[in-house]
Amino acid sequence: MCQNPNEPSKNPSHFESSNTTEEPTHRDLLWEEYQNLIEGMRFFDPHIHMVSRTTDDYQMMAKAGIVAIIEPAFWVGQPRTGLASFKDYYSSLVGWERFRSSQFGIKHYCTMGLNSREANNERLAEEVMEILPLFAYKEGVVGIGEIGFDDQTVLEEKYYRLQLELAKKAKLPVQIHTPHRDKKRGTERSMSIALEHGLDPSWVVVDHNNEETVKSVLDQGFWAAFTIYPFTKMGNERMVAVVEKYGSERIMINSSADWGISDPLAIPKTAALMKQRGIPSDVIRMVTYQNAIDAFSKSGQIDVADFEIEFQPDPNAKFHGNSILRGGQQPVISKNSLLIQ
Amino acid sequence: MENILTNLTQFLFEETSVAERAWLEVQAQSNALELMTAFVAAPRFISKKNVTYDSQVRENLISHLPGFQADGWNLVRLSRVWLLLHLESEPKEQFIKNIETLFDTAELNELVALYSALPLLPYPWEWLARATDAVRSNMGFVFDAISLKNPYPELYFPEAAWNQLVLKTIFNGKPIHWIYGLERRKNKELSISIFDFISERYAAGRKVPAQVWRLVGSFVEESTYPKLVQLFASKEKEEREAAALVCFESKNPQFRSLLSKYPELELSIQNGDLDWSKLESISE
Repeated sequence: MCQNPNEPSKNPSHFESSNTTEEPTHRDLLWEEYQNLIEGMRFFDPHIHMVSRTTDDYQMMAKAGIVAIIEPAFWVGQPRTGLASFKDYYSSLVGWERFRSSQFGIKHYCTMGLNSREANNERLAEEVMEILPLFAYKEGVVGIGEIGFDDQTVLEEKYYRLQLELAKKAKLPVQIHTPHRDKKRGTERSMSIALEHGLDPSWVVVDHNNEETVKSVLDQGFWAAFTIYPFTKMGNERMVAVVEKYGSERIMINSSADWGISDPLAIPKTAALMKQRGIPSDVIRMVTYQNAIDAFSKSGQIDVADFEIEFQPDPNAKFHGNSILRGGQQPVISKNSLLIQ
Repeated sequence: MENILTNLTQFLFEETSVAERAWLEVQAQSNALELMTAFVAAPRFISKKNVTYDSQVRENLISHLPGFQADGWNLVRLSRVWLLLHLESEPKEQFIKNIETLFDTAELNELVALYSALPLLPYPWEWLARATDAVRSNMGFVFDAISLKNPYPELYFPEAAWNQLVLKTIFNGKPIHWIYGLERRKNKELSISIFDFISERYAAGRKVPAQVWRLVGSFVEESTYPKLVQLFASKEKEEREAAALVCFESKNPQFRSLLSKYPELELSIQNGDLDWSKLESISE
């Protein structure tokens, strides 16, 4: 774990790709140009780290039709040094962040877990595992996640297995983070361990797939999630091709937007692209909305009425007496205004 | 403890379905970690319906603990309190650690249940810091759980903490008559703070809820006299009534003679038609 900043890290960030020959291409498209393609569509992002995002993101997401999200517990960019940091982080996922999201009309769920990178700190991992059940069973927690492998170490495997058992006991779906390096083997290993523990693959979402992993994931009965994340994971043109090839069954798209260079609008943009490329609306709906709901509803914690029925956030609501609005601010302001009042 | 559990169990089981009761009974046999997990997981197994509560029958739900009420709770909150009573209380250090862990990891509704349970838990003095901290909280529901209809503060709060609780309840615009033991723990220090508060409010052209005067009646001094004259001149009936009640409670003849200028009010107090309960407005 990168505890000494002078040591070369064994855990390259999301931007460091092992495949440096890949040249990303961009095409500028203004919101005005693609909003008509996704008009009336409703999106569910089953993987996004809002703790790293701004209110601007929430505003744009709501405008683009994202009505509900799942925030998996993950790595905040640097290793946590004590149990209290984990407690506060987990508490924020069921507390403040959920409230902040609701202020923009977006229903916020989360998954709870000890992430693979930090599983390598055994002393801390033991302590976290002790309190994890107290968070896993909280209201609005729709799964154990994101768990799995990073470096594929012995300790990562140990805590992955323990958390699979917790998921079984708590009757919660599992959200698997597949490793950036040695992905294909890591993905296979994650799945075979889940099966070894007797998990029903229809309760397991395997995340961050690519063209190399998708077939095996689907063949074995797991949900295959794809992360549209610039440079490192999936591009959305590749995603369109995957949907064209494999259809919509058990496939879902997410943004994984976090503290790295990522895009919280990855789902609506991909939906627009799919629409442009002639993919039928019902297929788009499955991979950008319904499949995520079906997979995570097994937790018993999702009531679609909470986000399918149009609602206006209450601008005067407070979380524990605190508001996101400072000094009489309104939650929706004009971004085009020169004057910031 | 036996008595507490027996009464609470009977009350709880009257409200639960067969499946809910079965789940609760299994949890009650569990070890500490499983019980703590059940405390968190309760909404997955127990409905959130409000418990029906007949205050005539249940005036004292726990006979030796008057003031403990479950009125208006939902079944999850009641079940959580009940589950906590099944945690092994020995060894003491482990019990305290378990309760502290639940506090540290609690979300809002769990905090409410924890504070509701404080008067029932063993080692009551151990929770004093948590309880006074909850009074400082900005979380409305948490504040209510410790401050209103909860016998813990009256039993264990030192005077300064008690006074803070009462003042903050007034500041928050909550009904002070829901503070259990309010009459018994009136004190001089509190009355001074409240006089100051009333003066500040009046100086700012604002009002105070009429029933706040009930906390100062026994402590009025000469210097308060002009304020009471002012209060008698109020257009608000409730304020005139409050002035009359303060004068009636005062031992000072000057105040009694002020009251005699308002014979109708004096008479209605003497007849028992007017007392502080008539000024209790339930605004939340």
